[in-house]
Amino acid sequence: MPDSTIDLAPVAPPRTSSSSRRRSIGVFVVLAAAILALLSQGLLHSLNYFETVDQVLAQRAKIATSTIRLEGVVKPHTIHRTSYGASFWVTGSGTNEVFVVSRGTPPQLFQANIPVVVVGHFRSRSSLTFEGTQIMVKHSASYIAQYPSRVKAPNGSVR
Amino acid sequence: MKLLAQRLLGPATLIAMAVTFVLGLWVTPPDKVQGDLARLVYVHPAVAWVALYLSFGTATIASALYLWKRTRSMVADRVAHCAMEVSLVFIALTLATGSIWGRPTWGVWWAWDARLTSTAILGVLVLGYLALRRANDDPELRARRGAVFTMLSALNVPLIHFSVQWWKTLHQGATVFTSNRTLLIHGIMAWTLLISFVAFSLAFAWLLRARYRLELKRERAMGESLEVALSRRRAEGVH
Repeated sequence: MPDSTIDLAPVAPPRTSSSSRRRSIGVFVVLAAAILALLSQGLLHSLNYFETVDQVLAQRAKIATSTIRLEGVVKPHTIHRTSYGASFWVTGSGTNEVFVVSRGTPPQLFQANIPVVVVGHFRSRSSLTFEGTQIMVKHSASYIAQYPSRVKAPNGSVR
Repeated sequence: MKLLAQRLLGPATLIAMAVTFVLGLWVTPPDKVQGDLARLVYVHPAVAWVALYLSFGTATIASALYLWKRTRSMVADRVAHCAMEVSLVFIALTLATGSIWGRPTWGVWWAWDARLTSTAILGVLVLGYLALRRANDDPELRARRGAVFTMLSALNVPLIHFSVQWWKTLHQGATVFTSNRTLLIHGIMAWTLLISFVAFSLAFAWLLRARYRLELKRERAMGESLEVALSRRRAEGVH
């Protein structure tokens, strides 16, 4: 015989269970910690990723020998590959330029006339030689075909 | 008509992807500076476009629709949830392809500049959204909290977009959406880039549709299992 006294009508769930609230708070705490960790690494210390040659030379005394990221364009005909890395001049606007001596293998795209960001510090408080520990290439946003005017000769070869 | 469009979505995505890869790998010339490395331009920007604007944008609009009383429905919540999941996949792909591109060009896998860091933060926010959904048992509370969280997280998207203009970053500036509206990519390279955007946008639509259908099936299965449980309880009452 079916028991008609059993109430099978759906009941409304409680508004918010305490375990659900605890889990939500836990999510927010972990999330806040993760975002703060990312911000402390990336944005809070260096919203601007580098200083240009012009900025660095303008604040030369203040920078002294502290570690910075220096940005400039590699001056043509100044690159010298060495056993420990490379030395070259980077230029800013006008006649501003800094001599860089860098350790380690430069990136694949490292070449004359390309903007680079060098991590390092000046050799001494008054020196204009920048000792780099890492070179990063800051390539442009433009894309130009490598051989824009190449033509096919009647014999099939590409010139 | 709608059914036909839905049926063609998969094949259209596949064809657009195939065209993108054929053009990107074989037809387009190498770049003057980057050489063959520039071929990643047919993947990375399109993936980022889907991650930041299409997926996250869809989730934001669906969340706004849920929060507005006149358009509130569980469909909007479901769309927001599914779009956020797809967004997470594409954010991960954006970071991965960017990293693969960064190593040979910049010389590093990762740089803590404003563009990369803000994109990583968006990834963490999407993970937080998904965790927040799992933390709440009540469907309405879950939907409301998720929608508010998405709207707040969306504030990060303009920050990502303009980071390369507002601050000095290692990441390159815009190629297509430049401030003076000058296209910095030419000829067949530009067309291939455009096709890649279409291909990955179609892939997003296909993934979102598939995920939405899966979510419907999951909800239906859960409803059915509840029915089974209730009928078992009723049967217990008989004996």
